[in-house]
Amino acid sequence: MTPLLQVDGLTKRFKERTVVKGISFSVAEGSCAALLGPNGAGKTTTISMLAGLLQPTEGSIQLRVGGKPVLDRRPYIGYLPQMPVFYPWMSGKEFLNYAGELAGLTTREAALKTGEWLEAVGLGADGQRKIGGYSGGMKQRLGLAQALIHRPKLLILDEPVSALDPAGRKDVLSLLQRIRRETTVLFSTHVLHDAEEICDEILMIKAGEIALQGNLEHIRREYSEPVIRMEVGGEKASQDWLASVGNKAFVLQAEIAGTRAELTVADVEQASHELMEDAVAHHVIFRKFESGQSTLEDLFMKVVQA
Amino acid sequence: MRQFRLFFRKEMLEMGRSYKWLWVPLVFLMLGVMQPIVTRFMPEILKSAGNMPKGMTITMEPPSGAEVMAQTLSQYNSVGLLILVLSLMTMISGERQSGVSQMIFSKPVSFVSYTAAKWMSMLSLITVSFVLGYAGAWYYTAQMIGPVDAAAAVKAGLFYLLWMWFAGSLTLLVSSLLNPAAGIAFVSLGAALLLSLMYGMIPEYLAWSPGALPQLAITFLQREGGDTGKAGALAISILCMAVFFAGAVSMVKYKKSKI
Repeated sequence: MTPLLQVDGLTKRFKERTVVKGISFSVAEGSCAALLGPNGAGKTTTISMLAGLLQPTEGSIQLRVGGKPVLDRRPYIGYLPQMPVFYPWMSGKEFLNYAGELAGLTTREAALKTGEWLEAVGLGADGQRKIGGYSGGMKQRLGLAQALIHRPKLLILDEPVSALDPAGRKDVLSLLQRIRRETTVLFSTHVLHDAEEICDEILMIKAGEIALQGNLEHIRREYSEPVIRMEVGGEKASQDWLASVGNKAFVLQAEIAGTRAELTVADVEQASHELMEDAVAHHVIFRKFESGQSTLEDLFMKVVQA
Repeated sequence: MRQFRLFFRKEMLEMGRSYKWLWVPLVFLMLGVMQPIVTRFMPEILKSAGNMPKGMTITMEPPSGAEVMAQTLSQYNSVGLLILVLSLMTMISGERQSGVSQMIFSKPVSFVSYTAAKWMSMLSLITVSFVLGYAGAWYYTAQMIGPVDAAAAVKAGLFYLLWMWFAGSLTLLVSSLLNPAAGIAFVSLGAALLLSLMYGMIPEYLAWSPGALPQLAITFLQREGGDTGKAGALAISILCMAVFFAGAVSMVKYKKSKI
């Protein structure tokens, strides 16, 4: 598949601070990519450059439409900023109409699409109200509608759900699920769970550099390791035993805190047998014993803390 | 062109909904009407103030209509200018500060249309407010003080209107350069006042400065000599406005958002 978006050596320097350090990646048409990273990793700066709001210090951003790179990306992208701000004196309907016309729709198309999108994002009943009275979730949904009203090839979202309560977050995520069937989506987030829910590609960035990128399934398979999670009782015998398990030969890595432990092991079956036997011998009381695979969350934490 | 219309319609709507179309013309009208009325009733006002020593009489030369009109214009140069700058100062910086501009500028919009719409709406607000206020002043002056020479009044009004346009353009330029509203007001008001003060001090060196416009307008009314450099001041002011506009366009393009 040809990439829709091709980014090469993208760099942004503010005075002497380099926020984005030569990152390169591509986003295939029809995919959904998540730009994942801790706060301050350079996500918003990258997104702003992609949306054309910031001039890159170095590097190139190419958007291909119909196989050919375009000079002006703006007609083909839809962008939703981190904290969408509107004119509080406009109604939702007026703003959507205005955004549609600015994006190049005819007056008639804009009016038609405004109605459609207000319904699609669940603001049909609130269209006539002033945006000043909207809640955060409503603003986010209106922001999505304004980004999509001109049927962009690529939808760029900056932390679309980070500021929302669980209900609003679910609304926006399920909207995104629907949208991604029709549009290529690139969004940034610091919550891995959101990325896992809707994306198939992830780009982890850390301190302005790409730490890890690729297909989500692929990464999950490649980086998942057998893990045993345990929780023991609070008495001394159990705690002492737990503190000592890290020294066993089959344990590759151990994280022990209080009555809980998480062990990365070479072989789950062998390890659980030995642990159980050992525990019985030491009269350890288990509260929880779980064997499984390390999650992306673990990988994310590892990348972030490395 | 279509985008210019869209932006312009939005600016007009915003000025309407924030009541700028109501209060700015009203303040200008009030300023204009007050001068002739106060002048006309000044003797009565002084009499009723009542704290004058007995036997003292003040004889005031009743001012001519043209003089009252000239005084009105000087009113506009202080309070009028202040109102103007305050009502226009956040026109460009406000959208950048709030973040609306991020959404607008990620769409395929023309920066020239965007800035031109701001300019046009600024010029319309100023023109309507000033014409209303000036017409009010003229009407009351003619009614209460005495006739005013029509040709002189129109010429003076046009020159003064150009000065207001110049001050408005300056405010929008500063608004595209700076973010804090107080800073914008301070710089634009300061620059406009400085220009007209400097002309007052050394007119011979600054005959072509835009700061000469208010004084030139007043000389039309007072029919004094020494009104040299009219064409020069006119041309330089219009040139400055064009340069301010071009500067604002490139600043808007350069500083799309505050990130």
